[in-house]
Amino acid sequence: MDQTLKEDRAVRKPRKVKKITWSLIKDQSQLIYMSVPLLAYIILFAYVPIWGWTMAFQDYKPARDFSEQKWVGFKHFEFLFKDDSFLQVLRNTLAMSVINLILGFTTAIILALLLNEIKKVFWKRTVQTISYLPHFLSWIIVTGIVATSLASDGIINDLLMKLHLINEPIQWLSEGKYFWGIVGASHVWKEVGWNTIIYLAAMASIDPALYEAADIDGASRYRKMFHVTLPGIKSTIVILLIMQVGHILEAGFEIQYLLGNGLIVDWSQTIDIFVLKYGLAQGNYSLATAAGIFKTVVSVTLLLIANGVAKRLGEERLL
Amino acid sequence: MANQTVSPGPASAAAVTRPVGKRSVEPILFNTFNALFMLCLVIVTLYPFLNTIVVSFNAGNDTIRGGIYLWPREFTWQNYKAVFASGYIYDAFWVSVARTVLSTLLNLGLTTMLAYTLSRREYVFRKPITLVFILTMYFNAGLIPGYFLMKELHLINTFWVYVIPSMISAFNMIVIRTYIGTIPESLVESAKIDGAGDFKIFVRIIFPLCKPVLATIALFVAVGAWNTWFDAFIYTSSRQELSTMQYELMKLISSSMNANNNPAVAAGAGITQEAAQSMVTPISIRAAVTVVASVPILLVYPFMQKYFVVGLNVGSVKE
Amino acid sequence: MGGKKRSVFRLSLMLLLSLGLVLSACGGNNKEAAKSGNNEQVSGENSENGVEPFEISVFIGEAGQQPTPDNKIYKLIKEKTGASFKFEFLAGDIDQKLGVMIAGGDYPDMMTDNQKLKAAGAFIPLEDLIEEHAPNLKKHYEKYWNMMRDPNDNHIYTLPNYGVYNSDPDSTWYSGPAFWIQKDVLAEAGYPRVKTLDQYFDLIKEYKEKHPDIDGTPTIGFEILNYDWRNWGLFNAPQHLIGHPNDGGVVVKDGVAEIFADKDYAKRYYQKLNEMNAAGVVDKETFTQNYDQYMAKISSGAVLGMFDQHWNFQSAEDALTTQKRFERQYVGLPLVYDESIRDHYKDRPALNLDNGFGITVNASEEQAIRILKLLDTLIQEDWQKIFTWGIEGEDYIVNEEGRFMKTQEQRDAFTDGTWKLANKADAFYGRAPKMQGKFSDGNSTDAAAQPEEYQAGLEEYDKNFLAQYGFNSYVDFFSEAPENEVAYPAWSVDLVDSSEAKIVNTKQNELSTKYLPKAILAKPDEFESVWNEYVSEIRKLSIKAYEDRINEVLQWRRDTWTVK
Repeated sequence: MDQTLKEDRAVRKPRKVKKITWSLIKDQSQLIYMSVPLLAYIILFAYVPIWGWTMAFQDYKPARDFSEQKWVGFKHFEFLFKDDSFLQVLRNTLAMSVINLILGFTTAIILALLLNEIKKVFWKRTVQTISYLPHFLSWIIVTGIVATSLASDGIINDLLMKLHLINEPIQWLSEGKYFWGIVGASHVWKEVGWNTIIYLAAMASIDPALYEAADIDGASRYRKMFHVTLPGIKSTIVILLIMQVGHILEAGFEIQYLLGNGLIVDWSQTIDIFVLKYGLAQGNYSLATAAGIFKTVVSVTLLLIANGVAKRLGEERLL
Repeated sequence: MANQTVSPGPASAAAVTRPVGKRSVEPILFNTFNALFMLCLVIVTLYPFLNTIVVSFNAGNDTIRGGIYLWPREFTWQNYKAVFASGYIYDAFWVSVARTVLSTLLNLGLTTMLAYTLSRREYVFRKPITLVFILTMYFNAGLIPGYFLMKELHLINTFWVYVIPSMISAFNMIVIRTYIGTIPESLVESAKIDGAGDFKIFVRIIFPLCKPVLATIALFVAVGAWNTWFDAFIYTSSRQELSTMQYELMKLISSSMNANNNPAVAAGAGITQEAAQSMVTPISIRAAVTVVASVPILLVYPFMQKYFVVGLNVGSVKE
Repeated sequence: MGGKKRSVFRLSLMLLLSLGLVLSACGGNNKEAAKSGNNEQVSGENSENGVEPFEISVFIGEAGQQPTPDNKIYKLIKEKTGASFKFEFLAGDIDQKLGVMIAGGDYPDMMTDNQKLKAAGAFIPLEDLIEEHAPNLKKHYEKYWNMMRDPNDNHIYTLPNYGVYNSDPDSTWYSGPAFWIQKDVLAEAGYPRVKTLDQYFDLIKEYKEKHPDIDGTPTIGFEILNYDWRNWGLFNAPQHLIGHPNDGGVVVKDGVAEIFADKDYAKRYYQKLNEMNAAGVVDKETFTQNYDQYMAKISSGAVLGMFDQHWNFQSAEDALTTQKRFERQYVGLPLVYDESIRDHYKDRPALNLDNGFGITVNASEEQAIRILKLLDTLIQEDWQKIFTWGIEGEDYIVNEEGRFMKTQEQRDAFTDGTWKLANKADAFYGRAPKMQGKFSDGNSTDAAAQPEEYQAGLEEYDKNFLAQYGFNSYVDFFSEAPENEVAYPAWSVDLVDSSEAKIVNTKQNELSTKYLPKAILAKPDEFESVWNEYVSEIRKLSIKAYEDRINEVLQWRRDTWTVK
């Protein structure tokens, strides 16, 4: 079987270089029927509206027709990049995003592995179902609970006091150095269960024969985890990771907005909050669009880099 | 003799028991640790939802005082009465069900079909089409161009605006494609040798084999479709009969917050004493709304779950 | 091969089906659109009363709830005038919603005012139509006519919903800004008259030292809320302390507006807070708490004082009412720096500019006239009574002296949101032109402001409390408001979206949000340096652009509004 696969691949490679011929198209007509209409669909719904990016170069007023808009060149980009706080906002966005990425991935994978070790189906399902409940709560509720827990008389301070780790309550939300961690932990709390779903689904596709073979070899639980389960979901992990790297400038705004305050504003403001304040809230759709374009450029660049790295490493790729 | 027979005894016993002993202690340790960990996880993730339920049953006026954790202080049905007071929510519920079911079915069919074609390495348009879809994850044309498109397509104020613009998601497509990549190529090859076309292979072989990932995607799509209120807000808000459950609930929350929190008033405008005195408690309304909104969709999950846990015996199919 | 053909056939069938789906969606919409367009024409036939039924589509730029379909007031309006309303409330971000509405030109007949809409030309000028078709409205707004004009083109586009008074209103309730103090603090000190900031903090400090706990909760001396847009707790006090009314971010001195954030009289306030923080009076968590936590603390009864607007913490006070802890409720004090300054917290209600309904360009002329005629009918006294007091006999009673009163049951109904949806027309009335002050028979236009009603609702504790001061209501703690300056208030000046003035204002608020908490929490000997940094940061902004814009509009107001 392996043999044929390899041969197949060997044959296929030169075929890629082959010109697109009518006979090839005829050969693949079913694939074309199955995908090209959907391509047309996505072009209509996702790409056609991109004409709106012209707004970034105008002082866009919704009441005016396209021909009546005032063109202003890179004014809005300059406003973004020249603002004193932009670098800081960018730093905060990147920091929180990277923290969320790392924490999000590792916790979800570990939890998925551990869930997979529960042999009783009932318990496995129960734990999983409960663990993803917070996903259905809005940020305003979650941050409400976070803020209450972090208050001077909140559970976190209570616990630390009882364990004699601290002598007086810590004002968690008054110091910038804690903020990123709080955001990261809140994300994990809210989403870890939800994020495991995809890995558990991937684990379901692992060939049980591999486990049986490992058992016969006398492999320990950990060996099986590392040599059967993890490789089995590796392609999913890599693909998700590449996709997520492209979203590095999306650290969100709700949690930062809801938990932030004047004392830690230098750590809590993200690009999205900046754009809300100076874009949407000011009726400045152009600025919001300019920020969107900036984010897209960064995203696509990072995406291609991540994809390239994956290719180099011989991992599953997106493209 | 006696010695001879005895002496190997302990030795062989040791030889046998050592691994057995290791095997019996280690799993117990691991399982205990795992169970404890899961217990903590369950407590931590169950709490916010439980607390929300408790708050939803506590008198709003009392909830303001805080300190409601695991049991209501002043039990009441009032918050739920307020949620169901306007009859509009019942119609909205069915609109939400309809859009969720339709979206899920369309997404499953179309996204999987697309994923299959893009998993075929020999497919000539594989790369360009993949790229076109992937990029859609990283840009956003903006609200206004999107609105114009819907207007051009006469989708404003129709039910279809809930379904048609979101029939395919690039993210889900990639997830499915990755999954299809783990299905042995030989299955497809042998079907081709038997003369099956791509469509037939897709419908007969790939689609059924994708059950675990389809369950995941169905869950993602259904939860997404159920939870969104934004399209109702932007596209159909002037038609009450098209309102979705989430949008109705959103209205309820905003109006409960607005009753006391009017920025115009904040700035100093005249306010009637009546308005100032009317008691509205956003926290308890929010809690009741969250419970009402999430219970229907939470019921979906256990049905999906059996597909993850049972898993697929791809190996046996291969034979 | 046969299989292949069949699958191709099936595929094309599927494509055809999905295409059909899209087409039918579009077709469906056209039909719907045609149907809704016809709605108005259907109204040809006359109803029994001879009034022609017509429907007005209304967008309200605020969150709200649909009235029930059988709401008794709307039913009455429909019966008497033929008009019915189709309301759409905002639930979500107003900028996003208005953005797409303006871009698409998709307006209903009537909308609440918004600068973006005016800038986009969404409203029709009303002045000529009112002259011609709405004599009652014209009379209602007579004194305010010029104030209603748009600074940009002198047209009247919208009808302000509040601030048109026919007499001094009965005032028994103060919902504006003040330094609030727990009643028990005053009671224990022997009901002193508190005038200055220093006196206020002395009282609080003393009380806190004497009572480190209140019913088991550690006592909190002073709260400063600065959460999201609720920032006045931190920002606004200095202007009041020097005897100015609420002008938002500026103080208008001798007709010229200037920001006060960086002035010495602002510094004096924040330095006092810094001192109080060092003395442990200010809550340690005050700048990290969110609104819910703030409300929880107030309703726990352990907070002695704060600077806030009354309506903002109203529901926390209500929670204290249900606990019957009246001594933990608050009295508003109009504090100033020293006794020579006359307090000006309570102001005369100004016309609520840039609020209320306008008629959009999408309404036909015929429809616009119908709407104005309707508003003209509803501004009359009999209707106004129905809107505020309700239906006589059902919602209120009239005593022998002709005074309107309510039974306790009727009073309770008025605070029940669900009841209101079926029995009040608040969605419309809240934004419509309205009579304020007194009806011609002397009854108050605001049911809750009727003095008898207020007295009837007063608790024993409060009766005694007020008697100690010889006051009738808690409003008496405030000086009578002097006549407003013509251009007052400056906070209603439109800064114009994404103009330099507005961006500077946003930045200044950002700086205040960041530096003021820092300054207050600093060690007393570090206050000076934090304050200086704050001031130098503010001075880096082109504050002048902001002040100029405000002065420009204030001047315009003085020029046009004084001409009668």
